[in-house]
Amino acid sequence: MNEQSKVKINQLPTGVPGLDEILGGGLPEFSFNIIAGAPGCGKTTLAHQFIFANATVERPALYFTVLGEPALKMLRYQQQFTFFDAAKLNNAVRFVNLSQDLVERGLQGVLEEISKQVEAANPSIVVVDSFRTVLRSEMHEGTNMAVQTFVQQLALLLTSWEATTFLIGEYSESEVRDNPVFTVADGLFWLFQQVDRNSVVRKMQIMKLRGQASVPGLHTFRITEAGLQAFSRTLGLVGQRKTYSTVRRLSMGIPTLDEMMGGGVPEGDSLLIAGSSGTGKSLMATQFLAAGIRAGEPGIAAVFEERPNEYTARATEFGLDLQTPLAEGSLEVIYLRPLDLSVDEMMQEILDAVKRTGAKRLVIDSLAGFEMALAPSFRTDFRESLYRMIFALTAIGITILSTLEMPETFTELSFSSYSISFLTDDIIRMRYVEIDGELCQIMMVVKMRRTAHSREIRKYQITTDGIVIGERLKNYVDLITGIPQPVSVLRSEELLLNRKV
Amino acid sequence: MTRSADAPTTRELAQRLLAHEAVDAGGAVPDTQAVCRVCDKLRRPLTTLAGAAGFRSLLARALTLAKQESPVLGAWEVKPDGSLQSLSGEAAQAGAVLIAQLIGLMITFIGESLTLRLLHDVWPDLPGSETNFGRNQSK
Repeated sequence: MNEQSKVKINQLPTGVPGLDEILGGGLPEFSFNIIAGAPGCGKTTLAHQFIFANATVERPALYFTVLGEPALKMLRYQQQFTFFDAAKLNNAVRFVNLSQDLVERGLQGVLEEISKQVEAANPSIVVVDSFRTVLRSEMHEGTNMAVQTFVQQLALLLTSWEATTFLIGEYSESEVRDNPVFTVADGLFWLFQQVDRNSVVRKMQIMKLRGQASVPGLHTFRITEAGLQAFSRTLGLVGQRKTYSTVRRLSMGIPTLDEMMGGGVPEGDSLLIAGSSGTGKSLMATQFLAAGIRAGEPGIAAVFEERPNEYTARATEFGLDLQTPLAEGSLEVIYLRPLDLSVDEMMQEILDAVKRTGAKRLVIDSLAGFEMALAPSFRTDFRESLYRMIFALTAIGITILSTLEMPETFTELSFSSYSISFLTDDIIRMRYVEIDGELCQIMMVVKMRRTAHSREIRKYQITTDGIVIGERLKNYVDLITGIPQPVSVLRSEELLLNRKV
Repeated sequence: MTRSADAPTTRELAQRLLAHEAVDAGGAVPDTQAVCRVCDKLRRPLTTLAGAAGFRSLLARALTLAKQESPVLGAWEVKPDGSLQSLSGEAAQAGAVLIAQLIGLMITFIGESLTLRLLHDVWPDLPGSETNFGRNQSK
């Protein structure tokens, strides 16, 4: 079958930010869908967002309520959402109560009333809430066939009348099997509400969607005064990483460090700055952002351990003006500490900021703070989520600098307690060492993917002008353990040993 | 706390609805039949929103509240089918109190804006509706 002879399925906007992307473009027109989930997970709100986004006076939405929440109470609560448009009530959005029909005449009575209303109103959207209560009234021995027939007739009726349909029900996952409702449905939206320790995380899954490819898996969503907002697992960023024939190098804002890195950080790389507390990781990140601003490259700082004004004020102490680009819009400081954040929400925030600023550089300060801001249930998947996020952002050409606090040990040099070094293209390690009875700071470029870099271990200082890198420490061994030995002492010991032999 | 039903605007609206129904029925002064007609016209939209039992509950609650203010309504009752069992006489004057209580309950549940929209759908040509229906769009 060639492309031209295929039926074109129109896609309707769901009115839920992020959901169209998860569905693969929108909701298929005339589809027969089920929104399932436990009480309080947002089923009714999702349906309301859809109807208020699509219903018109000419092609209204019919919202049938059955034995569940009466429309009176529904209106009381739903009008609190910003998407609720009172002007659409009773013309573009019409409520019909079927409780009496169900009680007095059963499934057949419900079907007849829905048919009558649909034929009279010519709706583009039909919602039955709660559909579960319709079926439960008939769910007993020997009535399965009646239920199946009812569902099929309803699907046929509503599709024939060119209505996009939502049946809302409080189902549990164990009911998916052998349920005629799910068999007939074109789309199956499952909403979850998971409690982990003291936080609640909302997730949705498109378990089934005929006619188009939706993004598989569980997607987090949040309910705010604007209604549902969904965060796709991929946020549409599933493309290949950009390949550059000639990789442009971005200055770190510290000339000596640029030299050590072979000319700066390659554009589109993920760079990890690892070091213990007070070694200057955040300062290096700030210098990286400031260098970008000076070069006309907008930036974003996602900070978790200090507030935006504290962040920019600290930069000022080192002669870096972040206030001006912040005011002009070439810099955004994202500060999120809700403690029930998902990585996908963070990514959405960053992507929105990228769109606003045209950012080329992103600083995540720090990964530990980021992890702490996540809901506990997301922390277990932190590495996997971070991988998705870094891959997705670098794929669109963003150069990411993440800071990571490392516990200082004086016996070894570890790169990451998270074992996330595989996520990064480049690693810079900063640490304390004891030299001649003084606590000094050293740094080294540990890893640069695809490019040559300095292997030197350099002493550095934090000054009012930022990080100043000194010369290579030539006269010491075991520097990376933190307790170096002067070479001269070792030579003396060697000579002494040779004499004894 | 001042109830919505006690607000002068709600009382005035109730009286206008009754006067409108009285004129429609060919009378000059609202009587108990006008009260019944207003309740009956509100039955359809409220049954849609709350179900038949829900409408009956709302009307019964409104009547209970109205009786506290106007004891002459003491003999009135809401029948099982949601219709109003009224008695003629001076109780007709208290009918406005009942209608105001019913409108007040609607405002309590769905807000003034939606309530006025619903009333406008039922009485689109009510005199003065331009100035009173939808005058406050608050939720």
